[in-house]
Order: sequence, then C-alpha cells, then structure tokens
Amino acid sequence: MNAMWSLWKAELLRTVRDRRFFTLTLGMPIIFYFVFMNQVGTHARISGTFWNAYFMVSMAAFGVVGSSVNTLAVRLATERKSGWVRFLRTTPLSSAGYTLAKILTQLSLSFFIIFVVFFVAQFSAHVTMPPMRWFEIFLWLWIGSIPFAALGVFIGMAGNAAQVLGTLVYLVLSMLGGLWTPIQALPRALQEVAQWMPTYRFAQPAWELLAERPISWVSVAILLGYAGIFSGLAAWIERKGDAHQQE
Amino acid sequence: MKDVTKQFGQKTAVRDVTMKIAKGSAVALLGPNGAGKTTSIAMMLGLIRPTRGVVTLFGGDPLASEQHAHIGVMLQGVSVPDRLTVVETIQLFRGFYKKPLAIDRLLTAAGLEEDARVMANRLSGGKMRRLQFALALAGNPEVLFLDEPTVGMDVTARRHFWDELRRFIASGKTLLLTTHDLQEADLVADRVIVMNKGRIIADAAPESIKMQFAGRQISFVAGVHLDLQKLTKLPDVIEIKTAGRQVTIRTNNSDGLLRTLIMEQWEISDIQVTGGGLEEAFMRLTTETEGTFV
Ligand SMILES: Nc1ncnc2c1ncn2[C@@H]1O[C@H](COP(=O)(O)OP(=O)(O)OP(=O)(O)O)[C@@H](O)[C@H]1O
Ligand SMILES: [Mg+2]
Repeated sequence: MNAMWSLWKAELLRTVRDRRFFTLTLGMPIIFYFVFMNQVGTHARISGTFWNAYFMVSMAAFGVVGSSVNTLAVRLATERKSGWVRFLRTTPLSSAGYTLAKILTQLSLSFFIIFVVFFVAQFSAHVTMPPMRWFEIFLWLWIGSIPFAALGVFIGMAGNAAQVLGTLVYLVLSMLGGLWTPIQALPRALQEVAQWMPTYRFAQPAWELLAERPISWVSVAILLGYAGIFSGLAAWIERKGDAHQQE
Repeated sequence: MKDVTKQFGQKTAVRDVTMKIAKGSAVALLGPNGAGKTTSIAMMLGLIRPTRGVVTLFGGDPLASEQHAHIGVMLQGVSVPDRLTVVETIQLFRGFYKKPLAIDRLLTAAGLEEDARVMANRLSGGKMRRLQFALALAGNPEVLFLDEPTVGMDVTARRHFWDELRRFIASGKTLLLTTHDLQEADLVADRVIVMNKGRIIADAAPESIKMQFAGRQISFVAGVHLDLQKLTKLPDVIEIKTAGRQVTIRTNNSDGLLRTLIMEQWEISDIQVTGGGLEEAFMRLTTETEGTFV
C-alpha cells in the first residue's frame, strides 16, 4: 500500500514539472475554449443548453482524453523501453500496486484538468448551474475518464510508435467524437460514426445532464464496452509479451 | 535454481543450471559476454520464467512481490525516470520498503551527496550506476543481486563501491554479483561460479579455482648447462614457458616442485614463486571447457 502511494507521489511530482503537460494537455482545451467562445458567443443555444456550458464539457473531456491517451501512453512507453518497469518488478511493489498507482495518478490529473477547465469557463464565460449539477457533471467526467486510461495503457505498449499513435488517436477521437465541433454540425455520415466513438459516449451523458435530461444508459454501456476492450487488449498483449520475453 | 534451462526461441541462454546460494555467502558469477549470467539473475528475480526447471527465492516463488521485500537489485541497462531529482528517486524507492535505510546513509554509500538535487536522468553514466546502487540498498536488503555494478564507474567510485560492498558482506548479508572486474571479484567473493555458453563450468572457492586452473608459477633463470627438456619430466609440472634462459613453470604443487628443484641441485638462480590470479584461471576455464569442475 505504502509502495503505491510512494509511486503516486513521484508521478504527480513528475507531472508538475512537465511543461508539455501544461502547454498541450491543459493549455489546448483552454485556448480552444476562449477561441470558440469568441467566435460563437457564449449564449448560443445548443441541444437544450447554452454554448458556454456545452463547450466547457467538450473541452474538459478533450483535456482528460489528452492526458489519458497521449501523456500516459508516451510515459508508459518510455518507462517500458528504459527498463524502469522491469526494475520496479524487482521491488516489493506488486504489478497491481503499479497499475493502481498509475490509475490514481491519472484520476488525480483528470480531476485537476476538469477543475481548471470548469474554473476558467465559470469565470470567463459565466457558466451558471445549480451546485448539484456542477457536482454531477464533474463526477461523471472524472469517473468516465478511466476507460481512456486503459486505452492509454494499450497504446503505451506500442513502443516507439506510442508518441505518434497516441497523438493521432487523441486528436482523431476528439474530432470524430464531436468534442471540437458538436456532432449536430457534422455531416450525416460523421454523425453516425460519432455515435460509436468512446469520446462521444464520454461527453454525451454530461451534455444530457446540462440539458436536465437523464443520463443515457446506452452511452454508459458503450463506454463500459470500450473499457472492457481496451483493458482486455492491454492484458492480452502483456501476457503475450511475457511469454516471448521480448521486454 | 534446479535443473534450470531457458530458451529464447531457438537460442538456449541457460542450460541445465543448478545452484544454491546460501545465506551469508558472497558469490561472484563470472563468465564471458553472453554466458547467461543476466538471464540467470532475471530468473532468480522472477523477471522471466525458466523454460524448464525450478527457481525459488527464499523458498518461495520469485515472481511474488512479497519475496522482494528483503532484496536489493542492480540490473543491466536500466535508466531512471525523468523529472525526478536524485533524492526524490531514492525517496521513491525508500517508500517501497518497510524499514528503509536513512536517506543520508544511502547518499553517502553512493557518493552522491553533492548531486542530491540534480535531475536523476541527467547524471553521468558512472553516477547513474552509483544511484542505482543506492536504490538497491534502499530497503536495507538481506540479499543483493548486482549485475555488473561497476560498469562506468571511475577508479575512486569503484574503490568506494567495493568498500561499501565489503561492509555489507561483513554484516553477514548475502551477495550475488556478476562482474568483469576479476581482481575485485576475487577480493570480495567467497565463492566463484563460472558460466560459459549457458552452463556452469566451475563452482568453488576462489582459492581452489585459482589453484586448479591458474596454479602457481615458479620462475627462475636456468644455468647454461641445464637441459630444458628434462624439466618437463619433473612431477607436478603443468606447463613450461621459456624466454631465453628465463623459465616459467606452471604447477599446482609449488612447494613440492620447489623442494625437488633444490634437493636435486638443479642449476637455477633468481627463483620466484607467484600465484596465478583469478583472471588467468578464468581465461583458462573459458577457453578450455571440456571438463567441468564442481
Ligand atoms: N530477451 C532475449 N531474447 C533473445 N535472446 C536473449 C534475450 N536475452 C538474452 N538473450 C541471449 O541469451 C544469451 C545469454 O545472455 P545474458 O544476457 O544472460 O548474458 P550475460 O552472461 O549476462 O552476458 P554479459 O556479460 O554480456 O552481460 C545471449 O546469447 C543473448 O543473446
Ligand atoms: Mg549480463
């Protein structure tokens, strides 16, 4: 247990010092938010709510996906390549402890990203809603980020390709999932595609909450399905890699 | 390790190896590059599974992380994560263990007092190795596994390292190390295991290995009338080298041979007796490996 906290602390410390994390993972959603607020106007109506709140959810989701898919994948790939993971396996830190520490780190970062995006939106675009609503949306985005951490772990196994692959998946999923342009504004074919994107299914329940509609269980189910697929794939490759001893 | 074999695809890295490292011993695992030393250690630590055979660590499964509470490890080819200082990296490792050594003690052991605030992944090669030594010691281990620990260390660091290691052994703890620094291995180890091409070809105390494979050398200047051919007929002579009148005889019974030479009044002068080093024994062992010596 202590071992896990020790690793968690170190991981957070490393992120605090990571300039890339602040400029890209956290900076991009915030800049996008300002830009799109300026272009569209904060009080345009969209899907039963206002643009300033709708796009706040989009950007919080975008940031969380970036930190999970991109940052995590690159970091894991580097750690595996440098033999660090192998080294850790000689310590009393169990692989469950290692995974848990990584998940906790990711949850901490997601918490921070959502908080900052919400904070910026509230102060720059005066998003208003009842405290309970803030809390629900926050909680959903926070917990719903876990499947993307699993995806990050999976991409992290791609070795040297992880950096390119991570960036690509992060941007493509965000675009196709309607995090940049709402899917209502997309061509019909892309709208169909979006329905199947984990990113869309991640943001959609939060958008529903904004519009005072109940969470759609289809989204939750699809997201859970993706979580299962990503972690299953990661576990499978891990096992295969172990058998071949190529690590 | 019992009857352990490890294959990588077609390649057999370790072949039918059986060894038992007793508590309190200091074992040097030697062998040329690619002999299977690193692979053997990786199996003892549970990093890889043997293809055949059984490996146990403290009598349990080496894969289980609980078995790792009392060991310290230095692996080959590992670098530490970025964006952590030397102290923070050591603290991270201290957090893994129940009763870690004090941070100051670890910094001193590694000789990194002045680099404590430096980013760990920017350390020079030798200092990186010293940091990893500190990480290995972090949990106050009972057993140390060190895979070529001194690679990249300068002379001072090396000496400091071996001093620390001797102190470690003197406190009754167990050491398994691989190294290509045979002189030092000779000084710290009380048992030497030599591997070649995946097999154990020798396993004994350093003295007896040296005796057996390096033997002793008696060198002298032979008088002009001495028939060098006759020397080969003497008992206990393993090999004779001559350079002009300077003769060097390799033997495994220097006392007996010396007595014979003097009693029989051979015409020799400037007699010197020297012991062959571990390096010579090693060379001999790994180049002529028909017989095994266990
Ligand atoms: N992951 C791997 N995949 C394939 N072959 C491997 C792997 N690891 C080691 N080998 C092979 O197994 C043999 C033994 O390697 P090992 O690393 O154990 O040697 P070593 O005794 O530690 O050598 P060195 O002194 O160079 O460190 C080598 O021939 C090596 O090529
Ligand atoms: Mg090796």
